[in-house]
Amino acid sequence: MDFRFDIIAEYAPFLLKGTLLTIGLSLAGILIGTVLGLLIGLGKMVNNKLIALPFSLYITFFRGTPLFVQILLIHFGVVPAFLGHTNAVAAAILALSLNAAAYIAEIFRAGIQSIDRGQMEAARSLGMTHGQAMRHVILPQAFKRMIPPLGNEFIVLIKESSLAAVITAPEIMYWGRAMAGQYYKVWEPYLTAALIYLILTISLSFILSRLERRLKTE
Amino acid sequence: MIKIQNLKKSFGTNEVLKDINLTIKPQEVVVVIGPSGSGKSTLLRCINLLESITGGHIYIEGKDITDKKNNLNKMREEVGMVFQQFNLFPHKTVIENIMLAPVKVRNVPAETARARGLELLRKVGLEEKAEAYPSSLSGGQKQRVAIARALAMEPKIMLFDEPTSALDPEVVGEVLEVMKQLAKEGMTMVVVTHEMGFAREVGDRVIFMDGGYIVEENEPIPLFENPQQERTQAFLSKVL
Amino acid sequence: MKNKIVAWSLLLVLAMFLTACGSSPQDEGSEGAGNAEDTETKKTLRIVTDAAYAPMEYQDKGEVVGFDIDFIKAVAKEAGYEVNVEHVGWDPIFVEIESKRADLAVSSITINDDRKQSYDFSHPYFQSTNKILVPEGSDIKSAEDLKGKKVAVQNGTTGQAAMDALLGKNSPDIKKFEDNNLAIMEMESGGAAAVVADNMVVEEYAKNNPDKNLTVIEDSAFDSEFYGVLFPKGSELVGEFNDAINAVLENGTYTEIYKKWFGNEPNIDVLKEQQ
Repeated sequence: MDFRFDIIAEYAPFLLKGTLLTIGLSLAGILIGTVLGLLIGLGKMVNNKLIALPFSLYITFFRGTPLFVQILLIHFGVVPAFLGHTNAVAAAILALSLNAAAYIAEIFRAGIQSIDRGQMEAARSLGMTHGQAMRHVILPQAFKRMIPPLGNEFIVLIKESSLAAVITAPEIMYWGRAMAGQYYKVWEPYLTAALIYLILTISLSFILSRLERRLKTE
Repeated sequence: MIKIQNLKKSFGTNEVLKDINLTIKPQEVVVVIGPSGSGKSTLLRCINLLESITGGHIYIEGKDITDKKNNLNKMREEVGMVFQQFNLFPHKTVIENIMLAPVKVRNVPAETARARGLELLRKVGLEEKAEAYPSSLSGGQKQRVAIARALAMEPKIMLFDEPTSALDPEVVGEVLEVMKQLAKEGMTMVVVTHEMGFAREVGDRVIFMDGGYIVEENEPIPLFENPQQERTQAFLSKVL
Repeated sequence: MKNKIVAWSLLLVLAMFLTACGSSPQDEGSEGAGNAEDTETKKTLRIVTDAAYAPMEYQDKGEVVGFDIDFIKAVAKEAGYEVNVEHVGWDPIFVEIESKRADLAVSSITINDDRKQSYDFSHPYFQSTNKILVPEGSDIKSAEDLKGKKVAVQNGTTGQAAMDALLGKNSPDIKKFEDNNLAIMEMESGGAAAVVADNMVVEEYAKNNPDKNLTVIEDSAFDSEFYGVLFPKGSELVGEFNDAINAVLENGTYTEIYKKWFGNEPNIDVLKEQQ
């Protein structure tokens, strides 16, 4: 089998641009997903069941349906409803953020609930409001425990951003598909794409393990 | 200072406190004793409203803390609480543990809060541990920090919920010493404890609880030496 | 640490690469028999296709059928081979052929120079023309009008190749979708001004969805594309099959199959000119 490095070289600029978009999509998904996930996680923990219900439903929907389907629905349904036309990058960011938010909400909830009840009681007995106790006492501790599962979620997000190729967001996999379509070659584009994803996820794992170690020594 | 009227508390169908009436005067040290499950810890937690009460009223300096119109957080500022499990904030240093509430709740400038915190640490004999994390402290040291942390809010009353029960026997003394000092300075205190020696020595009044009721209350010496109630006698014969 | 990562990544890719290559030599034995000059005992050829492109090739209750299938069966019969047609999906076609696990593929595969670098093709056996599908009342009247507009296509099709040629290779204005349905949906959602695809695809779609008010535009600027049978590079079957294709084109079998599937006469002369 002849492995065509020349067609990889030809597509290198596209793959590079695709890599940047993949990083951009993942970062946006992580940031928006984290903020949204925190709010949804807190919303689900509210004692009032009526208020908690929509948050609960949100998590059920986004965890219970494939991201692939969510991307298509958001691209062809949600984004055109707001913009009047499709926008693949916007749809990809929206889908990844909303999906990640559901998982991150559960990570937050588990993290917060893993903190001993005595911490909240001690903070409240010192006169702190529920919000102050959350912000200064519970969340900083919970956050430390959330880092490993959050890191896991971020790595999943990078990989799952490849599904955005289906709505033509020009990320790594989209250019891999284009390369395969032009030359009818399979190994060159997909092995190259695999290598790029691997470099991205290994780098992120490395950063996360450093972060974890640093927080542990504190 | 504190007046408790007809206090009732149930967890589901389990009634833990049944009609408690109690008045605590300023500068008084009240020691609560009784078998486990008698409701003594719950009583303490109700005074700080860590547990919502089922019935009755609790007045602190004339204000009904069970009245929803009163600001609960403001009330809690006046009442310091020390827990059996210390509940120090593990992600903060000793001095940060002490400064947190004054700075965030009272808006005390950080410098002032730190100076005051160091003063309190000196008082409990742990000035050199200011920058240490709680995980590096012994149980006795942790509890002394917890007392300093509660004192930093300058409470009018201090509640101690079995403060020495989780400690190794050899460090119980150092914590009791700090509490004695506090009593001597005129702090109003309610202490739930199994330390009968402390109750006898420091308490102005001892309350014996059983089955959700206050069974007997008196000054320490008559209560310990001449209990009037059968249940008090039975309990004391076991613990003394 | 950094070096370690690089080393590990390389090792992993190498491992995958070896797995990819490793599978081919084992199958060379059976493939060799197919190429043997000995015509007395002709073996059954393994033909792969992506049966998701009606009416060219698709699955009818689990059975692979279509114009391409009837055609290749007729050609193989002419050449004296038994065949076994298998639906494997689009990308796997090229893996099967490259590793020589399959003898040939027929799946509306367009012949072009880029692809000839890696595979051998038979003589062209089918002419396809691209057409432009637009919403009714669109200001697009010809291929030229597509310049500067977003165009949705199916990845790997002649429509995509035509747009790469017209708008610039991999232009950001071309949106390459997995299939034509998604491309058409993109246009209907306002994300593209037009869809360019094989004539039979757009005509079929416009016909089946009259409520959507779509217009099909024909433009002679689009070069015709030709489909070929795909072989592994250097396959000895190519010559035999080219002869058989010519026989089928000339003896009326091709016309018969064409009429069965499309209802009109094929232009055989155009195909012959391309040889």
